[in-house]
Amino acid sequence: MTETGSTGASGRTGLLDQLEALATILAASSLVAVVAVQAWQVFARYVLNDSPSWTEPLALVLIAVTAMMGAAVGVRRETHFSFPTFANAAPPTVRAVCRAVARLAMLVLGGGLAVYGAILMLDSFNVPMAGAPLPVGLKFAPVAVGGALIVVFALERLVKAFREAKPAAAHGPDEEF
Amino acid sequence: MAIGVLFGVFAALLLIGTPVAAALAVSTLAAALVLGLPEIALVQQMASNLSSTSLLAIPLFVFAGELMLRGGISEKIISFAAALVGRVKGGLGQVSVVASTLFGGVSGSAIADVSAVGGALIPQMIERGYQRDYAVNVTISAALVALLVPPSHNMILFSAAAGGGISITDLFLAGIAPALCLAVAIMVTAYIVARRRGYQAEPFPGFAAIFTRLVAAIPGLLLVGIIFFGIKSGVFTAIESATIAVIYAVLVTVLVYRRLKWADFVHAVSGATRTTGHILFVIGAAGAFGWLMAYLQAPAMAVEAMQAIAHDRTLVLLLMVLALLVLGTFMDMAPLVIIATPIFLPVAKAYGVDPVHFGVIMILSCGIGLLTPPVGSVLFIGAAIGKIDVAQTVKGLWPFYIAMLVVLLAVVLYPPLSLTLPAWGR
Repeated sequence: MTETGSTGASGRTGLLDQLEALATILAASSLVAVVAVQAWQVFARYVLNDSPSWTEPLALVLIAVTAMMGAAVGVRRETHFSFPTFANAAPPTVRAVCRAVARLAMLVLGGGLAVYGAILMLDSFNVPMAGAPLPVGLKFAPVAVGGALIVVFALERLVKAFREAKPAAAHGPDEEF
Repeated sequence: MAIGVLFGVFAALLLIGTPVAAALAVSTLAAALVLGLPEIALVQQMASNLSSTSLLAIPLFVFAGELMLRGGISEKIISFAAALVGRVKGGLGQVSVVASTLFGGVSGSAIADVSAVGGALIPQMIERGYQRDYAVNVTISAALVALLVPPSHNMILFSAAAGGGISITDLFLAGIAPALCLAVAIMVTAYIVARRRGYQAEPFPGFAAIFTRLVAAIPGLLLVGIIFFGIKSGVFTAIESATIAVIYAVLVTVLVYRRLKWADFVHAVSGATRTTGHILFVIGAAGAFGWLMAYLQAPAMAVEAMQAIAHDRTLVLLLMVLALLVLGTFMDMAPLVIIATPIFLPVAKAYGVDPVHFGVIMILSCGIGLLTPPVGSVLFIGAAIGKIDVAQTVKGLWPFYIAMLVVLLAVVLYPPLSLTLPAWGR
């Protein structure tokens, strides 16, 4: 994978660090839970001769938690897949603008996921999931919560981009060339 | 108009360094606004792609690979490979290829492969007087074998990007012969380069040592058999097989090799969640992008455009390979497979190419991109392990590029190389 940028060590606040740690713990626990659920599926089918129907829908909800929490952490650490050549080759001011636009795009995506994910979750919370005693809305909960976390982390990175842009503009565009 | 907005905004965002997932989602949103489509439908598409049954195996295989990387399995495999092929000139290079092939059959990941095998062998090669570029190049080239053998999660990714209709077992089987050809081609290339540079052979440890080291490596190597025959026989689904892989990896590394500590487990699970987040987030966004592409009939347009350019099946395949090689230099493998499959696969199908055959071509073409600058994650990891500049590494990589391209060409021009094993398996 392409590691694009710092781990964001500077400019972090305690609360956001804790949020990131919480998201990582949630993601990791969900992944381990998927293994446990799927292992139970195999055990129940071959040993108890009773294949449970709830394992797959539950595993899908859990993997959505892993994916969205992992994605949110990736936004803070700026480790998502990207294609950085043009931005890297540009003068500092242009580079700072590119970085700000990229983070804004992530903010838009996170906002859309948070808002529409929440609407979808609330709309389908009374509908039962096929095969499991869970509401369909639960499928959208990780999207909504993950989207909200992405907004928070993208906003943090956006503020950092503006802070970086100011000295870049003050030093002039060709400082590093 | 909408299709121009979709691809224009996507390309512009990608060029300024926007993460692929955000570029896909925002360009889809822009095109949806032009078309007057409800935004909520895009989020619905993204959510359903994030948690799709066909993709559930990927995080679990990634997790299993992380556990094996940290649990000592690679060391036993390297030790066995050293006994087996170390006595050839430039022996450690040969060891690297054999170990990568065997470990690839356990981890299914080129990145895990180069980290595990390269981490152990690149420093050893440098210590034994091999030049750094050779040590890195032979290892990173061999790591590509992992992409083609079970449990390659890129194969699962291709199957999912193709709509889930392509059998994962067929893809796993189809990759085996090309993987072996690639391993042999890299071994021959490594031998030629080693002879020209005057590298020495390693002492032969004797047949008893080969046997002892094989016995030590068997618990790790058994995993590939469990995964493959579990899926093939229908005893496990691909997802259950991935679950068994995780549990087996924990058992072997904790109880047999006694190497996996709690801290290693925590690193493995957090590494797997990060990779899962990156891959599934792109898949989710690509789901919405692909849905809009289908709505705008973009794949049909691609077929028409290709039919206007070329009529010959092989020429079309070669043009697509060229496009994938070029795109692969700029894009990472997972997003490239996810984005290119819905566009290129209908074209291949329209020309009568078997989807399984095309899958192998696509994985190998995109895989070569992992070794090319400016975006080549395997190249970067290898160069970092070998403590050598990427530009210096690439200078010595050309014989290996040639070997890979020869194998790729053979896969394109001779479909039975990929399709014979799946046909036997049915």
